[in-house]
Amino acid sequence: MSLRQKLLLMFSLTVIVSVATVGWTVSMRVRKVFDQLYQQQTAQLVNQFQSELDQRAKGVADTLSSVAGSERMLRISQEVALTGESGAYVTDAGSFAHENHLDYLEIVGADGNIISSSQWPARFGYHEPAIDGPPGHSFLKLEDMPDGGVSVGLFAVRKVGNSESGVTLVGGRSLDQASVSELPLPPGTSLYFYGSEDVSSSGSLNGPPDKLLNASAFQGVVQRVRASGAPASSIIYITRDRADSVNATAIPLKSDKGQVLAVVVIATARRGMVEVQNHIRSIAFGIASGGILFAIAASLWIASRVSRPIEELAAVSESVAAGQWDAQVKIERRWLGKDEISVLQESYNHMTGQLVSQRDKLVQTERVAAWRELARRLAHELKNPLFPLQLTVENLIRARQLDQGEFDEVFQESTRTLGMEIANLKTIIGRFSDFSRMPKPEFDRIDACEAMRRVFTLYSAASQEHGSHIQFKLDLPGRTILISADAELLHRALSNLVLNAMDSMEDMDTDGILNLSVFMTGAKVFMRIADSGKGMSAEERDRIFTPYYTTKEFGTGLGLAIVQSVVADHHGTISVESSEGRGSAFMIEFPAAPGEEETA
Amino acid sequence: MFQRFAVKSATALLLAASLPIANARTRPHYGGTLRIETQADAWQRFASPVRRLVFEGLTRVDGAGGLRPALATEWKSDSEEHRWRFQVRTGVHFHDASAVTATALAGALQQSCTENCPWTVVRAVGTEVVFTSDAAMPNLPALLAGDAFLIQHPSSNGGVDGTGPFEVSGFSNGVITLKANVDHWAGRPFVDAIEVRTRRSIADQWADVEAARADIVEVPAEKLRQAKQQRLTVLESRSVELLALQVRSTGALSNVNLRRAVACAVDRGALFNVIFQKEGEVTGSLTPHWMTGYSFLFPLERDLNKAQALRGGAAPPVVTLSADSSDATLQLIAGRIELNLREAGFNVQPVQKGGRQEADLILKMLPLEVGESGAAVESLQRAFDAHAFSKPPMTSVTAEEQAQAMLRFEREVVANAAVIPLLYLPRAYGIGSRVRDIHLNLDASIDLADSSLEESK
Repeated sequence: MSLRQKLLLMFSLTVIVSVATVGWTVSMRVRKVFDQLYQQQTAQLVNQFQSELDQRAKGVADTLSSVAGSERMLRISQEVALTGESGAYVTDAGSFAHENHLDYLEIVGADGNIISSSQWPARFGYHEPAIDGPPGHSFLKLEDMPDGGVSVGLFAVRKVGNSESGVTLVGGRSLDQASVSELPLPPGTSLYFYGSEDVSSSGSLNGPPDKLLNASAFQGVVQRVRASGAPASSIIYITRDRADSVNATAIPLKSDKGQVLAVVVIATARRGMVEVQNHIRSIAFGIASGGILFAIAASLWIASRVSRPIEELAAVSESVAAGQWDAQVKIERRWLGKDEISVLQESYNHMTGQLVSQRDKLVQTERVAAWRELARRLAHELKNPLFPLQLTVENLIRARQLDQGEFDEVFQESTRTLGMEIANLKTIIGRFSDFSRMPKPEFDRIDACEAMRRVFTLYSAASQEHGSHIQFKLDLPGRTILISADAELLHRALSNLVLNAMDSMEDMDTDGILNLSVFMTGAKVFMRIADSGKGMSAEERDRIFTPYYTTKEFGTGLGLAIVQSVVADHHGTISVESSEGRGSAFMIEFPAAPGEEETA
Repeated sequence: MFQRFAVKSATALLLAASLPIANARTRPHYGGTLRIETQADAWQRFASPVRRLVFEGLTRVDGAGGLRPALATEWKSDSEEHRWRFQVRTGVHFHDASAVTATALAGALQQSCTENCPWTVVRAVGTEVVFTSDAAMPNLPALLAGDAFLIQHPSSNGGVDGTGPFEVSGFSNGVITLKANVDHWAGRPFVDAIEVRTRRSIADQWADVEAARADIVEVPAEKLRQAKQQRLTVLESRSVELLALQVRSTGALSNVNLRRAVACAVDRGALFNVIFQKEGEVTGSLTPHWMTGYSFLFPLERDLNKAQALRGGAAPPVVTLSADSSDATLQLIAGRIELNLREAGFNVQPVQKGGRQEADLILKMLPLEVGESGAAVESLQRAFDAHAFSKPPMTSVTAEEQAQAMLRFEREVVANAAVIPLLYLPRAYGIGSRVRDIHLNLDASIDLADSSLEESK
């Protein structure tokens, strides 16, 4: 990751974390405020609902008192008490209930058995347990219905007349969604009534149908209330949109015995709160986005001041590392000497300047050393033939004192010697000339194996003819390996290496082994020439490719230099592995010809 | 023999009951308009007081339960009652003045019965209407007196005409006006006209009769006691209706033990004592003793333990129950039966009558044809669904042997619980103070032949 990216990331993270912290804090505070408001509102609604329930209970009691005091009911009571016959009134509860807007009304005889029931007319003769309770107050009660269901109602019990053998009324009004929906509610608040078909079961809810909320929406909280008997609250998510959610508070409605008969759910929409939270979040996102943009701008500015010069410095350093030692960092004049970066750039440029200067000096020194070496080598090479020449000429001068016959014999001998040595001088000069005039390779697609085989054939046969004790070994793959090379130059280089190897094994007491091999790895072709000769010291190994360096008595020191030159001209490399007494191995690496890749 | 004695005894009792009314005025006079009010449609079958004033059958049942000639003057059977010949009364005309002929009667009878008929073929032969059947038809004359076979003749104005003592003269604002048929073969009735107000609630009818705005009003069996307590003048028939549960022997109650469990679970006593306030009669048989002359013992008390034992431990499938939804009393009874069955461990589900699938239990109120025991059973067989139980055995034997055969047949039907008889119920009417000499025939039809109206004061 670049310095610029790090700076950008650091700035952005700082802004985001700051804004997120502020946004979260504000959002939580808003939520807390809304929760408090919701709790106050719920408490108010609970009180309102309780008050409404009390009002309705009073209404039921009053209505029942009115029915009990009616002339018709008193007559029924008297006649039942007098005759004991109640069959004539089996359907009367229905008409009383209808006239007095009661959902439930049962006329119960002195024996506690139902004479007439409005809600379940066929239940006459059955015992009504509510009659056994204390009369006078209103209470919640589950009422079995003919369809097999159970409904919840607000009931009261009233005795008709004063006669002990008279009838008693058990009547009430149902509590259901329709009845609670009459309560005035603040906007965004709904009231839901959940009765139960079986109070002991946590099963079916017969709550209200709703476009957004179905009965199962509050099932969890309702079941919790049914199980615990205590109010419970929960957040209900209606859709995936957080705004479509409600704060639900479920309140149990209990019988006198504490049995939960129904549950009222007060649901307050959280849309307002969620929208405020979303608004805050949007603002936070906006600020964060602005902050990030600011961070980008700031990082760009700082980059222009800090990271760009450093990046340029890095780029220049890479150039220097690549060999372009004269690379310089551009320094803006306005910042020159004003900050650390410009000082660094200036120092760097000074350093590269110094480096170039030192290199030039070194090159000059090396060039001088090379010339000296060349001069020394030339002097050495030329000195050897010059000495016989000098002796021969001096011998000729002395021979002038001899008689003609002896002089002629000496003269002929001397001129032959002079010719030989002059030819030797020509040979030496020709070698130097050759090295200075190495031809450019003419590339062709040739088989590296064939090139190695050619060298093998040539020198193994020659070696056998001369009775050499060197054993030649050739290791080639069973296919052609094409490289792009000049066949003659390559042959010359390989020959040079083979001859060097043979020379290194010439004076050995034991039989030498010369291994010639070619192999391919990936897109590279390797030609290896390894001998079991005397090997090289570390110093020799480091210098063998230096021109005019030789370990041989009559070597020019140009053989391996020529080999290296040929290999380099073929875009290849040459390396050597050697240690004293263990032989040497030269490895030439060429790129494979286009389309020639190793096939496994 | 015993049957005849029973019918005659009942008739004597009924006549004795109506004596005070008959003796109140000794000189009836013609004229006046009789006002009848009904709760339902005036032309509905069985319980309508009006149908029999307009339409007549080939035979009729008199006040004593005897079979009397009506549109047929006499009838004879041959081929061991496989063939019956009814001689058509001559000189009788429909209300549109067309003559009553054997052809017209045969056509009307064919129209009245399209399936499960007592006969195989009915046709006119000269002045006779001839019925033939593959089986013996010992009850045919009695059956032809029934409400189902009243002669209805297509009139020239697109309606139907009868031959009864009254003919339809108008209809407006829910009031059907009938005028006296002065050419009636039995002589013209005393009253000139009858106004029939339909769709009146029972409470309104009773208020009208008390305020002298109506002369004849209906008294349902469940309100009979109340009517008596209110000092309404009530004309009450013998038990002429059967309240029963028809049990489908396929489906949920295909097991006879389950059907018997249903029979044991039903609390007839609650229906009799509370809903009908001890009016009518609890029954375990299809036809009442007074009508057939025989009776058999059948446990009428509810036996919940036996019902549960018969039902067995396994929970039975849902048993559906239906009753006429327009009849509040039948709905109440159905509700009570549902409660009874639930206590016996049945899972009962009320369904609408005439729904997509026939209910397992159908509560029915059916008329009992007065006459021979076989006729009553045969008419019930047709009134219940055809597959409720098979036709009773029809053999041309003595009346006593026929009664024994009917007894065995009824016992088999009841034991099989294909039908669970619950109550016999009477039919009753509230009579206004200005009506005199009115009485009911044994089949509960109103006989206005001798009745007249007092002059308005």
